[in-house]
Amino acid sequence: MEWAWIAAAAPLAAFPLVALRGKWLPGRGAYISIAAIGLSFVLFWLVGADFLRRQADHFSITWFNSGGTRLALGMIIDPLSVYMLGIVSVVALGVQVYSLKYMEHEPRFSWYFAVQSLFAASMLGLVLSDNFLLLYVTWELVGLCSYLLIGFWFEKRSAAEAAKKAFVTTRIGDVGLLIGILVLFKATGSFDIGTVIQAAESGQISSGTLTVAALLLFAGAMGKSAQFPLHVWLPDAMEGPTPVSALIHAATMVVAGVYLVARAFPIFEAAPGALEVVGWLGLLTALLTATMALVMTNLKQVLAYSTISHLGFMMLALGSIGFTGGMYHLMTHAFAKALLFLGAGSIAHGTGLTDIKDMGGLWRKMPLTSTLFILGALSLAGVPPLGGFFSKDEVLAAVYHNQGPVVLGLTLVLALLSALYMARLVFVVFFGPDRSRESGVHAHESPWQMVVPLVALAYLAVTSGAAAFYLPGTGEGLGQFLFWEEGEAFHPLWWLIIASMVIVAAGFVIAWGIYQRGWRVARALEPVARLARRKYYMDDLYQWTIDRVVLVFAGMVALFDRTVVNDGGVNGSGGIVARVGKRLRYHETGRVYNYGLVMAGAIVVLGLMVTLLR
Amino acid sequence: MVDYKLLVPQFLLAGLAFGLLALDLVLPPARRRYIAYLGALGLVGIVLSTISLRGQEAALYGGLFLIDNYALFFQGLFLVMGAVILLAAEDHVRKFLGHAGEYYGLVVVAVLAMTVMTSAGELLTAYIALELLSFTFYVLSAYATRDLRSNEAGVKYILLGAFSSALLLYGISLIYGATGTTYFRGIAGAVGGTLSPGLLLGLVLLIAGFAFKAAAVPFHMWAPDVYEGAPLPTTAYLSVAAKAAVFGLLLRLFSQGLLPAIEVWRWVIVALAAASITVGNLVAIPQTNIKRLLAYSSIGQAGYLLVGLAALSPQAVSGVLVHLAGYAATNLLAFTAVIAYYNETGHEQIEDFAGAAERAPYLALLLTIAMFSLAGLPFFAGFTTKFYLFTAAAQEGLLWLVGLAAAMSVVSLYYYLMVIKQMYIHPSRHSPRLRPGFVLTGVLGVLAFAVVAIGVYPGPLVRFIETASKGLFS
Repeated sequence: MEWAWIAAAAPLAAFPLVALRGKWLPGRGAYISIAAIGLSFVLFWLVGADFLRRQADHFSITWFNSGGTRLALGMIIDPLSVYMLGIVSVVALGVQVYSLKYMEHEPRFSWYFAVQSLFAASMLGLVLSDNFLLLYVTWELVGLCSYLLIGFWFEKRSAAEAAKKAFVTTRIGDVGLLIGILVLFKATGSFDIGTVIQAAESGQISSGTLTVAALLLFAGAMGKSAQFPLHVWLPDAMEGPTPVSALIHAATMVVAGVYLVARAFPIFEAAPGALEVVGWLGLLTALLTATMALVMTNLKQVLAYSTISHLGFMMLALGSIGFTGGMYHLMTHAFAKALLFLGAGSIAHGTGLTDIKDMGGLWRKMPLTSTLFILGALSLAGVPPLGGFFSKDEVLAAVYHNQGPVVLGLTLVLALLSALYMARLVFVVFFGPDRSRESGVHAHESPWQMVVPLVALAYLAVTSGAAAFYLPGTGEGLGQFLFWEEGEAFHPLWWLIIASMVIVAAGFVIAWGIYQRGWRVARALEPVARLARRKYYMDDLYQWTIDRVVLVFAGMVALFDRTVVNDGGVNGSGGIVARVGKRLRYHETGRVYNYGLVMAGAIVVLGLMVTLLR
Repeated sequence: MVDYKLLVPQFLLAGLAFGLLALDLVLPPARRRYIAYLGALGLVGIVLSTISLRGQEAALYGGLFLIDNYALFFQGLFLVMGAVILLAAEDHVRKFLGHAGEYYGLVVVAVLAMTVMTSAGELLTAYIALELLSFTFYVLSAYATRDLRSNEAGVKYILLGAFSSALLLYGISLIYGATGTTYFRGIAGAVGGTLSPGLLLGLVLLIAGFAFKAAAVPFHMWAPDVYEGAPLPTTAYLSVAAKAAVFGLLLRLFSQGLLPAIEVWRWVIVALAAASITVGNLVAIPQTNIKRLLAYSSIGQAGYLLVGLAALSPQAVSGVLVHLAGYAATNLLAFTAVIAYYNETGHEQIEDFAGAAERAPYLALLLTIAMFSLAGLPFFAGFTTKFYLFTAAAQEGLLWLVGLAAAMSVVSLYYYLMVIKQMYIHPSRHSPRLRPGFVLTGVLGVLAFAVVAIGVYPGPLVRFIETASKGLFS
């Protein structure tokens, strides 16, 4: 549908309006922002309905012609983009409504909503974009919004540091992405994703180039989707407001990497070795961060590590040619994790607590929030019949079909770990004794503006399981929808499903034993736990490298820059230019007869020029 | 038989000019502001009649007066510029100048003169139109009758202008003597082979005369003095419209009349371009008055436009036209912002802009946009249009000149940034907030939108201009 661009343009228009004039607008600008994202959400339905009646489509206008290269602004309407459009707009809408109350007392309230709008615009532009150039621009824009929102409370040193860390770390991946895009452009002469994919599939690009390009694109995905070893920024990003964590660092921006791999999937398929790297790195990330999620005690940190783990799981799915599984898990995870973060925000709002060591017995004080939070946790743990159960089994099936027994075994271990840490949260936070002195007095249920989005997300988290078999409007399952022409049905493997259910049950039993009954397992594993708690010393390693290597080298460069480049090159040449300008100034005497003389002289010189150069 | 329908815009312009003059006599002083609004409305209305002529090709009066897409493009541009100037000038004229109706009437006469200049197919028609334009500007420059600087500007302009007109006429007569014609097409047939000394001298004098009107180095020396002395709206009009009209005339003359002799005159134009770019940008650096700064900046801009004239391929002509459109929007934005600031404060030194960001944030932002665009930073018109212009010139082999132009664009960033620095970094010496009027604010908004639109999405404008410039080479 030609009007799909409005889905991104509406929030984009809201951004300057709310940023500059927020104070005077209804709801301090928040209503404008919400109206814009609401419009995007409505457009998703229109575009989706229109799309189901017709076929995949693709619109573009020429933005710039330069030396025979056409730079276009365009969008692609296909199953993947419609699907992403839906996920992003619904979560963004829910989070913005939630923020209305959550951010109520912030002095920079309007600015918050302005950036939320900018983020929605760039994220929607990212998923609709039909060419790598626009994709890169929006990719950087979501990074910028992430930076601005993590550092929303920039007076707090830790928040400012976290924002910087997130920006710099993802930027390392972005450089790879940019080079990858340029490599593909060099090979095909086009930024258009469809053209590049065609070239890759028809073998126009040499396989070596293709692998390099695919891995460079994946580097960008690793930064954005916090894959090992660039995962370190995401836990720190929890310094931002909780709704931001829900939207950007759980449901939408961090899955941009997964989306990129999915969008460029034919390139990865055609590039030998690329998908193996994606799969293995995803698995490594998922296992590593799942263990960290098990030992962290800050609620949002646990959720952050769980997010990384699930992103790794999606990468593993894509690496195992489980396109449907990966994208399906992207959706169920987005709904469930956004729900969990908003739930965590609701808990913080109601009790003022952020550390799970202080929580306990919340079930009795905040029944609604607790129920909804537990629903999200169960979905992510993979409990049937919630959404996460089906998507996880889809991924397991893909792993079984396309990977060896080692990978399958490790994936099952991962399933156990993720059930375990979710069960830990449920038992520690909601059941058992109240561990805090204050929370009992203040704990209260959150206002309706916060509860309604929770309920909506919980509804989606619960029912998204059905999408495997029946997607409303299509009459088919998600697999057929996403692949459109060569659709694949949901293919359950009964023994695998039963195995995974047993594993989840085992996870819950173990968690129950440890956190409710006080089994002494934790002590035996203390050395491992300490390692995980110190984040496997990754942060320390990076800090050491920055202090000892990067800064020392930077110091030498800075010295050279100050003396040679700055004093000599910049100030020197600038000084000369300024001096010449000052000297030349005096040719302007203000006397008319001087001016006439100069003109006459100039004519003589020009006349001589013409005569002599003839 | 002359088809008068094609001349409707010119008739309407003449009528509008006299109508505005007459209104000045009828209306009481308190209501004279409406003359400006009415004039702007009239000019925008005439744009419609210009649009209705689109696609027409005709040579009236035996080829003296040409109607084609090229002429109509400029006609539209001048009409819009005139409307903008009327709206931007109103506040200033009411506060600082008298005889409002005459001022506005003269602005419209200038529009008429410019439309004839770009339609002229023959040297004497062009000359007469140019003289009409010059005379209106002599008057408009000296309009602040009680301001000594304005009087000085008028006197200097008319003295040197007369000198340059004499050069031009002498050049035309020499060319007529050598070729026996003053028609552009006729001259093209006569300058193919080796040129006689008389023709060469005529050519040099012609170029010198036009270079004076375009304020190209070394015929630029009147410009800073006149720009500084003249009332602000006149300076704005002079820097944008007069320059555009001269280049509109030059491009037609050179492509239709002098193209066969390109090897002879190209190096003259290249020399003028290089000198203008260098001197304009370097001498702008130590300036302390914003009008003088913009005067030197516009000398530099004339240099960029001359680069396109030296290249003179269809792409280069499109490049010049695109750059003219972008430059018009940008410079009008800059001047309108300065006018608004001057109307409220009475100051025009660059240091007086200190603290403008606090006193008038909107104004400061828009002036910043204009400065960035003039310097040629991306996302603004200046970048895109310079890019087109320089690319076209580079394709014609003028690489070193393009290199010089690009390097001097970097230098120009320095003095544009100095203005921004004053506004945003230096604290204000006066505190009250400034509130420019509704009309000025609206004009500023529209211009800023145009600057950003051309910078971000130039496609439609470029396609439109390419159809306009194609006709010159057929």
